[in-house]
Amino acid sequence: MYDGGVYRGEELNELIEDIGGVVIQTTRSSQLLSVTMSIPSEDKKMVTEFCKELGGTVKSVPLAGTEIAVVGPTLGRHHMPHPICDIAESLRRQGAITVVMGLARGRGKLTSQISLEEKMIIDEYDAAIFSLGNFKPCVEAKTDLFSDIRVPVILVSGPRPDGVDDKCDGIVSGVGRKVSRMRTAPERDKLDEIVDLVEKVLDDKRRFLDEDPLFIHPAEIKLLLEEYEPVSMCLRPAPIVLHLDGLRVKVGYEEHRENIGNMMIYGRRLGDVCRLSPSKINDSSIIIKIKTQSEVRQEDLEREGADDP
Amino acid sequence: MDIEVISEDKFGGETYKALFAEIMSDVGKAFHMEKASLVLKPEIPLFIFSVQLRTEHADKTIADVANIREEGDAIHITVTDERYAPEIMKELWERYGKSRVDQQTRFDIEVQGAGGTDIGSFIVASGEEYLKEIVGAVWRSLPEGIKNRHTFIDGKVITVVATEEILVPRMLNEGLEHHKRMTGAAKDV
Repeated sequence: MYDGGVYRGEELNELIEDIGGVVIQTTRSSQLLSVTMSIPSEDKKMVTEFCKELGGTVKSVPLAGTEIAVVGPTLGRHHMPHPICDIAESLRRQGAITVVMGLARGRGKLTSQISLEEKMIIDEYDAAIFSLGNFKPCVEAKTDLFSDIRVPVILVSGPRPDGVDDKCDGIVSGVGRKVSRMRTAPERDKLDEIVDLVEKVLDDKRRFLDEDPLFIHPAEIKLLLEEYEPVSMCLRPAPIVLHLDGLRVKVGYEEHRENIGNMMIYGRRLGDVCRLSPSKINDSSIIIKIKTQSEVRQEDLEREGADDP
Repeated sequence: MDIEVISEDKFGGETYKALFAEIMSDVGKAFHMEKASLVLKPEIPLFIFSVQLRTEHADKTIADVANIREEGDAIHITVTDERYAPEIMKELWERYGKSRVDQQTRFDIEVQGAGGTDIGSFIVASGEEYLKEIVGAVWRSLPEGIKNRHTFIDGKVITVVATEEILVPRMLNEGLEHHKRMTGAAKDV
């Protein structure tokens, strides 16, 4: 990730393009610019030197190209902004795009619940972090909130609960309800622990995806979509967000699904190698899930079989 | 403020002791509290938060928080408790208008043409409002899902009994016993 000024930022983009890299995310705030990029490892030294020439810094961000949901029982002051926003911020510093989400009826021990719609929204992300409270019986009673979530879930709570290890992919204890920012050394260590665990869980997910690789890399679709005017003119922050197995494109589903589905990539329709669906949040975003190579091959075989009398 | 925690949940107990102190300090109510006792039973769940205040709630007048001196047609007020200075100014502005109220220094106020009035009896903070703020601060420190609450108030002691679903008589009795214990402790002081 490049962190510096906007001075000669275009030159940096051209350099990334020249060496066959991809800009994952560009954030400009006044005269400040941060560019999350994916570049070939052999060119890292050269890019770093160029960035230093521009007066900026470069650091590795292991969570680049992922979108993570940080979920609290509600958005009430008992859970927000600390520690949920502190966790989200530390993930963003490592390159992830984060969203903070509060459940509609997640509070309480006996009455907490999660709706199907909320589960489906969380499933759109690469991973979810559930931040619960300070009492062990409450945390143990609230495991139903995340037991049906399909994406990897990391539980962050005060005490370490018993009997929930099989319901989530990782647990970080020692972070419960807080009323002030996590700024002391032990608290910063806890945030690092959460980031490390997310990194590990997402590495496992990447390895799982590598067993049957995706037909195309999400970054290739991103390059294609950047040429599409409604996306390139989109004023929403981060109009294209990369996921490990697809993308989120922030344009309306009903209006653009056909155009996007008909785009050609490697001689195929995008709609044939990906699944396009409206985001469950609302239909102003499209979720693109890329099919695996074996899926595409299987569909090719089925099509050939149908054509063959 | 002295905080006592009664809980079998070691982590939750220690954390809530710190949380309670931090929240009360955040909302500016720690100064008003002599002692607090927190009963935490998350397994039921039942929470009893009892606080003993430094002073009994009553209406505060300008005479309680300032010295008043009459000179001819003007009245000079010297604020002795600065926390009430904004309320004093508000009250005086409402009654006499800004042109007649002159705040000469942080603590000194002169009101022109107010001679002969009993400025000292003007209420700057109502006891009820004070109580509401304390109860609100205690509610704020309770866990979010614990919405069913009952409040006991006697003299300097306020006790909030709270649970998630139905407040059964056993819970209220437990809360009342705790409240009596705190009230007894307050009388001993």
